[in-house]
Amino acid sequence: MLVALAWRNLWRRPQRTILSLLSIALVSTLLVCVVSFQTAVYGVMKETTLRIFTGYAQLQPLGYADDPGLERTIARPEDLAREATMIDGVTAAAPRVNGFAILANGERSYGAAVVGVDPASEAQISSIGSMIREGRYLAPGDSDAAILGDILARNLGVTVGSKVTVLGSGRDGSVSADVLRVVGIYHSGIPELDRSILEMPLARAQETFAMSGFANTIALGGATLEGVNNAMPALQELARKQGVIVRDWGSMEPAMRDGITLKIATSMMFFLTLVVVVAFIILNTLLMSVLERTREFGMLLAVGMQPHMIGRMVWIELVGLALVGCGAGLAIGGGITLWLQHQGVLIPGMADLLSQFGLPPRLYPALSPLSALIGPGAIFVAILIGGIVPYLRVARLTPALAMRGA
Amino acid sequence: MSSIIQCRGVEKIYRQGDVEVPALRGIDLDIQAGDFATLSGPSGSGKTTLLSLIGGLDRPTGGEISIDGEPISGMPKARLADLRLHKIGFVFQTYSLIPVLSALENVEFILRLLKVPPAERGPRAREVLRQVGLEGLEDRRPSRLSGGQQQRVAVARALASRPAIVLADEPTANLDSQNAEELIALMAELNATSGITFLIATHDSRVIAHTRRHIEMTDGRITADERRGADIAA
Repeated sequence: MLVALAWRNLWRRPQRTILSLLSIALVSTLLVCVVSFQTAVYGVMKETTLRIFTGYAQLQPLGYADDPGLERTIARPEDLAREATMIDGVTAAAPRVNGFAILANGERSYGAAVVGVDPASEAQISSIGSMIREGRYLAPGDSDAAILGDILARNLGVTVGSKVTVLGSGRDGSVSADVLRVVGIYHSGIPELDRSILEMPLARAQETFAMSGFANTIALGGATLEGVNNAMPALQELARKQGVIVRDWGSMEPAMRDGITLKIATSMMFFLTLVVVVAFIILNTLLMSVLERTREFGMLLAVGMQPHMIGRMVWIELVGLALVGCGAGLAIGGGITLWLQHQGVLIPGMADLLSQFGLPPRLYPALSPLSALIGPGAIFVAILIGGIVPYLRVARLTPALAMRGA
Repeated sequence: MSSIIQCRGVEKIYRQGDVEVPALRGIDLDIQAGDFATLSGPSGSGKTTLLSLIGGLDRPTGGEISIDGEPISGMPKARLADLRLHKIGFVFQTYSLIPVLSALENVEFILRLLKVPPAERGPRAREVLRQVGLEGLEDRRPSRLSGGQQQRVAVARALASRPAIVLADEPTANLDSQNAEELIALMAELNATSGITFLIATHDSRVIAHTRRHIEMTDGRITADERRGADIAA
């Protein structure tokens, strides 16, 4: 009875109800689309950035995060890498030697990180191989080959085919020196990487830095970042057994993690403001409708309707309005997002800017239960909570006063 | 004969800011079951206030009101609503129907509140509408009924719960002569046939002429209580 009555009450003033529904539906649609887009963009941004070099997670020696010296090593890294890839969600593991050296070419010399990598496994973790601007990436048979970032190459004045002298210290404190031939120059778009990293074959690096049989880190990769994140408990167990630690992406890239958290928090404030504004609009409308019907509520009380029943009827009107509005927003927003999920969103003139964040020029939102429901759900809950006001007003009415419209 | 409505020393004072405005000044009144009585008096005499207090729509400042032997002055809101639903029918000056419900649904609404089984509701509501002469108009919403017809629906709704008392506040005030005559005749007939007690606040001399008891009020006091003819046995 109350449901039918509430529904008919909503349509007493169709224009007002339609406007209210449109407000809810519009904001719900916006929230579904924006949250889905933003979630996907942050996901892509994280994955793309991590795939350039860092990897989705890393196995590291104890204390390496605070003091990343050559002497902190993982013994038999190939065995540990093999065990790591047996964990669900982890599809690749690449041992690395991370040395620091002075690179020199003729009169020019620069300090840089010299990373020894296994080209086959590294290609599954890092996308640097696909960012080669000149020459080629390291190949499994390479010995004295090296690739480096374009800024570093420019600073050193080297091109493909040039020789670079590497001068540093080894794990045992001895002087490490080597001469490598540049086979490729990459451009990642991340200046820090492009100016400071040289990659060379793992075996050669182990030899140069007195690291035979050791690595400093094992970078881990998977089909998705989420898959590797889900594998963290098993990875932690493996690390514990091997006396190393596993670090997730957030601990390796705190700036990116904090940046994303800040952006999400800022967006949430904006979304919350939208939700509160739409909730106030709807409550204001309903409160007006309640005030207009005060005499009628007095009559209902007079004929024997319990005050709380009238309150419930008003509440049901609100629930009906919120359900239809949020439902429409969910359907429209979900539909638009699904369409964009296939079509992608191309923002004209933004390709260069996006590439700086490791993002492709065409972005694809991703509709998930969370991204679809969080916006409309928040609106629904906000309206329901706000509905306490008209409920209490109605429930406190006394028939004589209400019939006088007071 | 038993008193279905009993008022003892009933007072009502309204406050307007710091000013106290006495609306009722010690009303003593007994209405017997089956009475067909009118309350009349000039505007501000307190007849609507008294009707509101008897119907439990408001609470007296002093004194006591009993309905069918049950004191109602201190009764909780929910019990008062229950009392109104089961024992008292109201007919108001304005038609006071639920605009989004048809005539039939307006009457059925009371039956739903009374939790009458669905199978019983429709036939019972139709029968009450037939009694008030609205057969064939059951599906019309109030906006598609004349003033007289709307007031008949209000009477039908008041009767649907088979109340002991019907309280009517200026029921003919917004009706033309013909509709007013018909409504008075209808209420008189219902009083005569079903023994429902009617207490009607009115200025309308035609209504007063039809009733067997006429109570005159002035300045919140009963100034005359005139009985005409025999009461219907309770």
